[in-house]
Amino acid sequence: MRRWWLPAQLAARAGPGGLVIPRAGLKQYTQPPDYSGIIIPERTKLKFVDKVPSVPKVRREPRQLRDIRGPSQEATDFTQGQYGILALGGGYLHWGHFEMIRLTIGRNMDPKTMFAIWRVPPPSKPVTRKSLGHRMGGGKGPIDHYVTAVKSGRLVVEIGGHCEFGEVEAFLTQVAKKLPFPATAISRDGLEQMRKEEEEKRLNNQNPWTFERVVTGNMLGMRKYLSPYDLKLKGRYWGKFFLKHRV
Amino acid sequence: KAMHFQRQKLMAVTEYLPPRPAIPPRCLPRQEETRQEENGYARLLRRQVEEAFRDNRMIAVCQYNYMPGEDVVMMRHYLRKHNIEVKFFLNEIVRPVLSQSKYKNLLPLFVGRNVLLVSRETKAKEMLRVLKGVPQINLLGACIDDTILSRKGVEYFARLPPLEAAQGQTVGALALLPSQTSSLLQRGSVYLTALLDQHIQRLRAAETESPAEPGPAQSSG
Repeated sequence: MRRWWLPAQLAARAGPGGLVIPRAGLKQYTQPPDYSGIIIPERTKLKFVDKVPSVPKVRREPRQLRDIRGPSQEATDFTQGQYGILALGGGYLHWGHFEMIRLTIGRNMDPKTMFAIWRVPPPSKPVTRKSLGHRMGGGKGPIDHYVTAVKSGRLVVEIGGHCEFGEVEAFLTQVAKKLPFPATAISRDGLEQMRKEEEEKRLNNQNPWTFERVVTGNMLGMRKYLSPYDLKLKGRYWGKFFLKHRV
Repeated sequence: KAMHFQRQKLMAVTEYLPPRPAIPPRCLPRQEETRQEENGYARLLRRQVEEAFRDNRMIAVCQYNYMPGEDVVMMRHYLRKHNIEVKFFLNEIVRPVLSQSKYKNLLPLFVGRNVLLVSRETKAKEMLRVLKGVPQINLLGACIDDTILSRKGVEYFARLPPLEAAQGQTVGALALLPSQTSSLLQRGSVYLTALLDQHIQRLRAAETESPAEPGPAQSSG
């Protein structure tokens, strides 16, 4: 818990000789954080996630990597919690990842004052694997395991309750590093800040030539070398990667 | 997956260029950070300081060195008997209050550890006596009835006679002349009566000499 009862730091200004005399001024009391609007649900820990869905799929599905590409359209904003893990790239989460997230968060959080919820569905997409060492051909391999597709900009888990970002950030970054795609721990304010910064960057860009402009106008016949998806992706996404430094 | 070279070139051309103002911000004078919201507690203390300065006639600023707790209590007790209160205020609160009021010249006194002795009456003699017995507190200056006095000034002030005696003296000095007015006015008539008395005495003396014999005979007859 952040120690709100300790006074804020005093700025000691250096005197004429560069000498700083530490002196005690008026004690500034900081208000404790207000958790009035937060309701902690009954089941605070993350639910167990099945390896295989209850109705396993018979038909083997094509790869469809487009479920990794581009920005996410669902689960981009916070619902109940205040802090979460934001995916900054696309990828697949399998049961091992789910277990790791569940156990790490369950170990580090306080079930009485904090709660966590999944923002990602349990694995439903079947992934096939051919047995090792065989030559190409002979049809599609059998279903090996199930995964969930995560696009960039999607929240994976949400944490909430009577806690501050500082306490939660530690184990959330620990989890985020272990995910197959780049991810960060983030709070509501942090997300807002990020979006505002992106918008500002887009507005005060001094470069008159933007990817979007070139693509929509097909300048220099660039569309020959670009994909039709680039109209939507606008140069910020390349496959599963989210290029944060662009525009 | 590797990008086509043309695509790489396009990405390089359409990179983000941050804005470059004509004068870089680090050459401009530094903007002072916005003041933190005022502490209610600081406001209360400031109000208390203002009240102390308004209500009391005598305000003495003393340097406060370390004193054991019981000595502080004893000193406060002695001063309380003479209706003098001992107040502790933080310099960082007192300084802005003084700089905006009429007590600007007291500002140099509020540096370092200090204590305020305030009172409604101006009992400088008793205060000095108590402070003499406490070596850890040194009088720096005082403001008595809106007049700033130094340490010497306070000693002289203490040596002055009490207000009633001084008032009596002035009244006596002023009333000296009017008290003489009545005697002045009566002086003429008093002089005349004295002269007449003297004259009568001289006539009587002359009468008693000549009709000395028929006088007593007449009086007896």
